[in-house]
Amino acid sequence: MSSPRKLVLLTLFLSAILVMPTGCWSSKEIEDVALFTGIALDKGQPAPIEKEFESKGATYSKRNKVMATLQLVPFKSQKKQGKKQNDQKSTFLNISGSGDSILEILRQFSIRLDRPLMGHHLKVIIISVDLLRKQSIEQLTDFLLRDNEIRPSTLVYVSQGPARETLMSKKLNEVPSFHLSKAVRNRSRTSKVLKPITLSRLDSLTHSKKSFVLQTLVTGGGELELSGASIINGSTGQWIGSLNQENTECLAWLSGDRNAGVIKTDDWNGETITYEIKSLRSKITPQVKGDQISFQVEIHTLGRLIETWDEQSHPTTNDYANALDKRLEDKLAAMMEELMVKLQSKYKSDVAGFGRRLAIENPAAWKKVKEDWDNVFSRSEITFAIKVRINDFGSFTED
Amino acid sequence: MLSSVISYFPTWDVWLQAAIACLVPIVASFVYKKTYSLAGKGRNPNTAENKKDPDPPAPNNSPFSGDYATDLATIRERIGGNSDLCSREFRMAKLNVRATLFFVTGMQNDRVLDLQLMEFLMFEAGADVYAEPERLHDQLPFNNLFEAPSLDSFNRSVLFGYTGLLIEGQPSGLLIECPDGANRAVQEPLSEGLLRGPRLSFTEMLSVNTSMLRRQGLSEQLEIKTFQVGTRLQKDLALAYIKDIVNPDLLEEVKARIQKMDFDFIAESGYIEELIEDNYLSPFQQLQNTERPDRVIAAMLEGRIAILLDGTPFVLIAPATFSMLLQSPEDYYERWLPSSLLRMLRFAAAFMALMAPSLYISFISFHPGLIPTELALSIIEARQGVPFPSLIEVLILEVSIEILREAGIRLPKPVGPAMGIVGGLIIGDAAVQAGLVSPFLVIVVAVTAISSFSIPSYSAGITLRLLRFVGMIFAAFLGMFGTILFFLLLCSHLTKLKSFGVPYLTPVSPFRPRDWKDLFFRAPRALMKRRPAMMKTQDDKRKS
Amino acid sequence: MFIRTDDRITTSQAIVFMTNTILGAGILTMPRNVTQATKTPDAWVAVLLGGIIVIPVILLMVKLSQQFPGQTIFQYANRIVGRLPGKAFCLLLVCYFLIIAGFEIRSLAEVTLFFLLEGTPIWAVVLPFIWVGAYLVSGGINAIARVYQIVFPISMFVLLISFAVSSRVFDIDNLRPVLGDGFIPVLAGLRATIPVFVGYEVILTLVAFMENPRQAAKAMIGGLAILLAVYLITVIFVVGGISIDSAMTSTWPTLDLIRSFEISGFFVERLEFPLMVIWLMQMFCSFCSFFFQSSLGVAQIFNLSYQPVIFAMVPIILLSTMVPKSLQDLLLLGDMIGMMNISLFLLLVLLTVVWLIRTKGMKQHV
Repeated sequence: MSSPRKLVLLTLFLSAILVMPTGCWSSKEIEDVALFTGIALDKGQPAPIEKEFESKGATYSKRNKVMATLQLVPFKSQKKQGKKQNDQKSTFLNISGSGDSILEILRQFSIRLDRPLMGHHLKVIIISVDLLRKQSIEQLTDFLLRDNEIRPSTLVYVSQGPARETLMSKKLNEVPSFHLSKAVRNRSRTSKVLKPITLSRLDSLTHSKKSFVLQTLVTGGGELELSGASIINGSTGQWIGSLNQENTECLAWLSGDRNAGVIKTDDWNGETITYEIKSLRSKITPQVKGDQISFQVEIHTLGRLIETWDEQSHPTTNDYANALDKRLEDKLAAMMEELMVKLQSKYKSDVAGFGRRLAIENPAAWKKVKEDWDNVFSRSEITFAIKVRINDFGSFTED
Repeated sequence: MLSSVISYFPTWDVWLQAAIACLVPIVASFVYKKTYSLAGKGRNPNTAENKKDPDPPAPNNSPFSGDYATDLATIRERIGGNSDLCSREFRMAKLNVRATLFFVTGMQNDRVLDLQLMEFLMFEAGADVYAEPERLHDQLPFNNLFEAPSLDSFNRSVLFGYTGLLIEGQPSGLLIECPDGANRAVQEPLSEGLLRGPRLSFTEMLSVNTSMLRRQGLSEQLEIKTFQVGTRLQKDLALAYIKDIVNPDLLEEVKARIQKMDFDFIAESGYIEELIEDNYLSPFQQLQNTERPDRVIAAMLEGRIAILLDGTPFVLIAPATFSMLLQSPEDYYERWLPSSLLRMLRFAAAFMALMAPSLYISFISFHPGLIPTELALSIIEARQGVPFPSLIEVLILEVSIEILREAGIRLPKPVGPAMGIVGGLIIGDAAVQAGLVSPFLVIVVAVTAISSFSIPSYSAGITLRLLRFVGMIFAAFLGMFGTILFFLLLCSHLTKLKSFGVPYLTPVSPFRPRDWKDLFFRAPRALMKRRPAMMKTQDDKRKS
Repeated sequence: MFIRTDDRITTSQAIVFMTNTILGAGILTMPRNVTQATKTPDAWVAVLLGGIIVIPVILLMVKLSQQFPGQTIFQYANRIVGRLPGKAFCLLLVCYFLIIAGFEIRSLAEVTLFFLLEGTPIWAVVLPFIWVGAYLVSGGINAIARVYQIVFPISMFVLLISFAVSSRVFDIDNLRPVLGDGFIPVLAGLRATIPVFVGYEVILTLVAFMENPRQAAKAMIGGLAILLAVYLITVIFVVGGISIDSAMTSTWPTLDLIRSFEISGFFVERLEFPLMVIWLMQMFCSFCSFFFQSSLGVAQIFNLSYQPVIFAMVPIILLSTMVPKSLQDLLLLGDMIGMMNISLFLLLVLLTVVWLIRTKGMKQHV
């Protein structure tokens, strides 16, 4: 009676013991993996260390099409117990390699590092303009979209200079990739920071073959700045030009997705007048007459006169405000005009969402011009109706 | 076409897996059934091996012979061997008959015995007492006076602490004076402390306990029925219920199960619990134990039945449901809004006490990608230099916490708290300093421990502590997937579990919206007009 | 009676049973299937239409089952078309349930292995899952329905919270224009939306277990309505959040939606964790339902006792899980299940017609 039961229990116990060491297949401790939080993609050329390796014969078959730089965190030289960090080095490590497949480059790092790489915490991808001139963005991000670890919430930037430089920082205790992913928070202060493009947005943009803009990064003196935007052509997926900071601001106002920022102009005496936008509403209305497509853009803003250098003026009167409104409207119209010239004539790309408005309002017309939209757009007539209202003079009054 | 179909034909390793897949549940259910029937035998005397006569064997059932000398001799022969048994032979002065008092030393109030009993019997008991032997009962001026039906029960009662009186010429022995062994005073409930509410707790005396219940309020509907349990050492057990509320089917079921109990000695109510519950292989208690009379009376008013056992302050309440384990009587004494908040906190605490270490393991070892980046970075820094995988790390700390807790209960009261401080603070800190565990884990384990303290019922707390370790093993194998499997397994088990026919998870499932008023939050009393639907009471209105 | 021994479920349990049976793998893949078929943002219209089309089918099944109170399809099929054809039909149904059960587990395993447990052998994921399922299923329909009642509110709560939070990436323009290309894409989408309701065949057995079979129609439509609402919300939020182009190219679009944003400063920064949790639980429910149906079917067709059949079903389900060799096979199998669903329905209509002729015929004799 009891012996078969004992036997069964014994077998169960033994099999449990057998399973134990073979179990925990996917288990890897969090401190035993190397998180990378940023990837910078540059024009293909061997990184300095790589050159040294290669000169000693450590090579594999590849074409140098792209150089990838990973930012690994946290990277610290042995934490000392009990002591305050007195000689702390940088908290991150950048590692570069080149090749013709991004995954292969990443795997190549595995023979240089002591811990396996893990991409769950990737925050930013930076692609240099030089690289985007040669390769399409779809090719470059294909792996990043397919990978199961990299999240679609990763932000994508373009860098004016070498992308790997954006991942360097001279500041202590600052990880540049975190800095970049958090800089987006400044959108509430200025429209020069564009609506962030995540990998999933990038995917839908490239799949729909639309032209779009990516925020451009400029580095200098160990610091970086978000400056302007790069236009990526929809059909080729390559970089075709860039917009300066004011163009970028205008673009944000045009698409109406952010109502922040300042407009600065001169008043009659040539002194600075600064206007801060409190609310902004923009509306693009497509009009189709036969083959001719035109757009009517209305922009209304309400805001506050926040700074004036003119000592003679009387900012609290209505007349003064109305007169200033006019000046500001002119200034804004001029800025918009500049942007439209660039988009329509110079780059022939619709990155402001005119096509999308047309598709929503008039699907039939859109279907006809869809294939050749960037050209049709560059011929379309666009008129602006701009209204700027000052309704607040701040907490300082002068008579 | 055919080859493409054949290519889908499973390979031999899949067949092997299928065989394992089939075998494991069969073996598991076989083992389960075997264990169930094995220990289940003690619960039902009607199984083949226990076809014993429920009455004690014949030689123990001898009646009094009526002859003083023979009876005296028999008694002496049977129990005279006990050295703590005193027999005092004397003559009743007025009647001039012989009589003997039997008692066990230490179980009687000596003063009463000497001054009153002996004095009365020896000098005052007169012919009027003796004249009508059959009415002797009414004539003796004692409150506690029984006639022993047989020699055997006379002996037993004397040894249990009654004073036995054998008078010449009387047909049977008399039992005077209840046992008055060492008792402790009524104290505050130790295991279920409250800030607000009665400070009364049950004691080891059944009569005191029933009287406490009676004293809760005037009612002729509160019924207490006594049973004798235990086959070798017999004890009193009382069922208490409100006659016009309790569901008669439930009452019958409880009575039947109690009468079926077959065990030589019922030491504590835990024995009863194990012998009458629906599934004794379950880690969850299916009867609630409490030492608070207010809790018992509240449960009885909901239509439940209380089981009191002599010799233990812990009273069982049947049937019990999962939600009862997380309720405290204080919920009903305090204002309803804060009470509801506290109750929800307790649910959250129970969840954490159960799941926190398994979640820690699955996050740290399996899914570092699911935690926020900044948190991941600080955990990595905290775990630098910890040589163990997270399971071992958690086990080290969890096991030592459990040992500490166990030690804290055993230690004498003045030392206990000091032990807690020493253990908790010093060992925790030292372990971190030594690099055995990460500081982050100390937080997790501390939160877990604190959460499990906030569960009002100690027994439920142990259940969760046990299950926590099971969950950790699941998590160590399959990460979050394992944790979810563990949760689903728990849910499956709980939904199958019943306590005296009441599904354990009522009112969550089966869904009884009426009873939700007293589940996650405690509704104001104005809304609780009716008794819980799950109890199917006879009278379900609480308010007229 | 205080202690109940009958195995009946209440109306609310029936509603949840219905919803949880169907709500399985579809919630993660459905937006892709539908958008690939419609190719316009009108995917949600297709889903709505699909749901409405399913309603009469459900009503037909309920009505048929109500004619045989207390009996499941496996018991009354014989009475309709005779012993052998009835048995054949029931076996077909059992096979169908088994294939779906295998499909559900396989999709679960694929997602789990891809996102959570890379490197774990597939059997280590599948086996414990089937075992826990077998433990639950051995408790009978009541235990299953009760687990559903616990899981359902949790998953609905988490799902709605996840979608509510995802409104930060929601852009109404992604859903416009409504019906820009007319109705044709919507009709094309129907091909993809009707299969997401696969599993409503459980009605054929479920009605027999109901306490109030009269409320069966109400309960089943109620279950479908909840389901439809969930699917609609899913499609609308996925298409609105990551746009139709991304939804078409992503293998698990709903997960991608949730992964496409982070809530910084919140304790669960990454909402795919709760979403995966509830999805796994939902898959468990869906799987158990089919497991139960097929075991019940075998037990009733061959007059076997229910418990041993469960043990026999475990390896069969495992085999059915392991048949697809790749993710592509799995997706193909999903499409095939949709076709099987339709052909089974046609068979059922045939059955009903036969039954109608028979009863009508009998009446004429009388």
